Amino acid sequence: MSVTHYICKYTPVELLEAYGGSCAILNHMPENFDRSDQVSHPNLCGFGKSLLEACMAGQVKELVLVNCCDSIRSAYDVLLEYGNLDFLFMLDMLHTTGECSRERTKRELLRLAMAYGAYKGTDFDPEKFQAAFQPQARPSEPYLSVLGARVGDELFSLMEESSPLPVRNDTCVHNRSVVGPEPGERSFEELMDWYAGALLGQIPCMRMTDVTGRKQLYNDPYLRGVIYHTVKFCDYYGFEYSELRRKLTVPLLKLESDYTIQSNGQLRTRLEAFAESIAPEQTIQKGSESMRKASTGKGFYAGIDSGSTSTDVVILDKDRNIVAQVVLPTGAGAAIGADRALAEALEQAHLRLSDLNATVATGYGRSAIERGDQSITEITCHAKGAFFLDPQVRTIIDIGGQDSKVIRIDETGSVVNFVMNDKCAAGTGRFLELMARTLELSLDEMSEKGLKWREDITISSMCTVFAESEVVSLVAENKRTADIIHGLNRAVAAKTAALCRRVGGQERYMMTGGVSKNQGVVKEIEKLLGVELKISEKAQVNGALGAALFAMEM
Amino acid sequence: MSGIVQHFGTAVQRTCGRDPLAARRLLRLGYHAKSMQLKVMPGALHKAAQMAAVETTAAMVAPLDHPDQSVMVSLFTPCEMLQVLGLHPYSCEGLGCFLSGAWAEKRFLEHAESEGLPETFCSYHKAFIGAAEMGLMPKPRFIINTTLACDANLLTFRRMAEFYQVPQLVLEIPYEQDAEAVRYVADQLREMRGFLEEHTGQKIDEDALRERVARSQRSMDNFQQYMTLRADKQILGDLTGEMFSAMMLHILLGTEAAEQYTQQCVRMAESASPASSGVRLVWMHTNPFWVKPLREMVDFHARVQVVGCDMCFEGLIQTDENDPYVAMAQRLVHSAFNGPVTRRIDRGIEAARQLNADGVVWFCHWGCKHTLGGAQLAKKRFEEAGIPCLILDGDGCDRSHGGEGQLMTRMEAFVEMLEREKEAKS
Repeated sequence: MSVTHYICKYTPVELLEAYGGSCAILNHMPENFDRSDQVSHPNLCGFGKSLLEACMAGQVKELVLVNCCDSIRSAYDVLLEYGNLDFLFMLDMLHTTGECSRERTKRELLRLAMAYGAYKGTDFDPEKFQAAFQPQARPSEPYLSVLGARVGDELFSLMEESSPLPVRNDTCVHNRSVVGPEPGERSFEELMDWYAGALLGQIPCMRMTDVTGRKQLYNDPYLRGVIYHTVKFCDYYGFEYSELRRKLTVPLLKLESDYTIQSNGQLRTRLEAFAESIAPEQTIQKGSESMRKASTGKGFYAGIDSGSTSTDVVILDKDRNIVAQVVLPTGAGAAIGADRALAEALEQAHLRLSDLNATVATGYGRSAIERGDQSITEITCHAKGAFFLDPQVRTIIDIGGQDSKVIRIDETGSVVNFVMNDKCAAGTGRFLELMARTLELSLDEMSEKGLKWREDITISSMCTVFAESEVVSLVAENKRTADIIHGLNRAVAAKTAALCRRVGGQERYMMTGGVSKNQGVVKEIEKLLGVELKISEKAQVNGALGAALFAMEM
Repeated sequence: MSGIVQHFGTAVQRTCGRDPLAARRLLRLGYHAKSMQLKVMPGALHKAAQMAAVETTAAMVAPLDHPDQSVMVSLFTPCEMLQVLGLHPYSCEGLGCFLSGAWAEKRFLEHAESEGLPETFCSYHKAFIGAAEMGLMPKPRFIINTTLACDANLLTFRRMAEFYQVPQLVLEIPYEQDAEAVRYVADQLREMRGFLEEHTGQKIDEDALRERVARSQRSMDNFQQYMTLRADKQILGDLTGEMFSAMMLHILLGTEAAEQYTQQCVRMAESASPASSGVRLVWMHTNPFWVKPLREMVDFHARVQVVGCDMCFEGLIQTDENDPYVAMAQRLVHSAFNGPVTRRIDRGIEAARQLNADGVVWFCHWGCKHTLGGAQLAKKRFEEAGIPCLILDGDGCDRSHGGEGQLMTRMEAFVEMLEREKEAKS
């Protein structure tokens, strides 16, 4: 049986089913957007592209759209030209819910009924209409809610896997809730008039003019945390997130995806860190007394931080003294890199592998490392390490090779909020590394030279490729290298300061990660935030230190 | 000159961080100075362009001079009723554009992003939001916006109404271009009259409104005539001038200044010299006037001329003479930006023929889904109509999106291609 796909909660699903339609939400995350990019543009929103991708791949033959947003209108334009669908319809929904809007919606419903009935060759069946209403019940036990822009099926599964609590999908189309009509005699037109009101009366989505009704999505006594999802190039929900980050009293994680399966791997770390922060007792193992007694080690604990650039290892003795610390390039494989670094650390401390009681792995490569007894995200480990080094620290800025992150902790050292940059290299160690290469300098030379600036140059582009062009142009203009480096440092600092503001950074600040060695960047961040950054001599191995501390608690 | 502007922009941004009121005074001073310069030293600007630049600058300074008489509007909001009441409408997109023109956008964009707004959001809107929330822009009397053309309208104006705690009126524009839609919008415009009277305590003089709307029609007719005359004439202008012209034909439409501007356009076209062999382009959407090599290529140069921009001609239609509310509603419902993108493409094809253009640039301003979503379709349709089309990605406001080199390589290659085609034809 053919399926009529839909994407929006304002779609009159019950009407389509009354004409014999079998309806399904289109929510699949593709591997790439090759087909979509050919007929549209890479900067359409990720979901708009996934919609085009599914249609162009022939996975969709019947589609009912709603005039939701610019991306969906554009997708409709493209599908009219290239779609090759058996049935394509776009319903014009206004942005208000008053009488005029209801009247216009009724007319749209009648237009759809005529077109869909003619396509299916069926008549309206009142019993099927009545039976199609399936209002959603509100939760009756503690749960995590996913709010914001629609989330793909595959990403939602990942959220469920990572969460210590049941997860409820309250995004976009998924919070659809239309209650059926009271029994009674009505003409079809009267029924559609009622139905228009019922559709418009749902919890509003962000495209509606009045969005106050959305409060019921987060004013719920059972709500324990929110994963706020946004889709790249979908702007509606970024505005709600901007408001909720100050309003919500439960933990909030902002997650942005581009609607491809590939993005899921990167999002896993954030989801796991969020789970660790809201329910550490369920997500981070603690060893029992009997386990500790059964351990064959000699009271040493290792933490391995497998990063994109370096693999760091710290070994602690039972009194929390660091007996070894190693930083080695990660090389081609996380597992091999971890083995090498651990072997070197053991040698440094004159220990054998069997002397270790427990090992915890963290960092991007943590799941590939078999050596560890447990893997914990680098967010939680950085928080642990920084709090150990200085219990007054409340905000940690970590700029590594592949990402930059800002973590806020409370007076017990627990993570209360964190943000990470996305896929883009802007504001990371990699950005500075590439720029150093363009300027034919080592990172150490770059760090030193950047302090001797005189002219305040602004590097406008944050895109690594464009910034490189800008640097080349500045070199051609005979600008001093020190001034160019200062401009780059300031660009990274501005990006970092923005992350700090997003997370609600509070003093005292500590900076960790490889970039903390770059004095130029540190000074610019300090200037922008108006605070002093504490840089520990252990800054570079902070993640591994946190992992080793967790190993002690196993 | 650009060095002075850059220092000015830096000073506005830095001052705003510690003293927003001082930054506002500085910005106001700068815009007044710019207005003076445009009046006494217009440089290469022809008289019509000078008029547009002076009037648009005055409209942008008005909210800084008289905030209690200013109304924040979206670009497509019909402003005749506001003009009758002596209020100063200003477009937030226009102000975003002006901040970029003054090299004062970066800090405000960063501020908006640090508040959690998406990096992918339209930079005109984002710069304005950042400036407003950092205290640079004063509180307007109220806010009126349409839902036409762009989702950002719904988001920015709602946020601004909450931020300033001022009344907001939204004009809802249906997707279809039928008589019912016109009636629906006309009714809302009548409600807008009630909204304005309630919030100002003044009555709108119907005769004055009727005259304003009739003047809007005359101005649109003049501009149409100008476009037709321009087909075989050489009139050298600049990219910024197209943006000023768009302001004259939208928020200032209905004013005497706008009518005089369009009359001057006609007189200029009548007396202009015949078209040269240069490449003539129609530009679709806003433009990245801040890209220096692009300005060097098209500003006041006979080799490459931008002869029209759809931000100016999208709404030039014949409206109802008898009912000013219906006339204003028709402009909105029948705007080329309303409905499927093919309407906008068809209007572009029509204008390109009217202006005797050699090619079209479809500019995908960062984050504008309406424009970029229809890019490939536009290219196909324009080329089927025999009009070469270049899809150009960029940002009209935010310099940090960069890509000047890539943008210019595409522009140069497109111009070279059109030049070869012109040569082959002649």
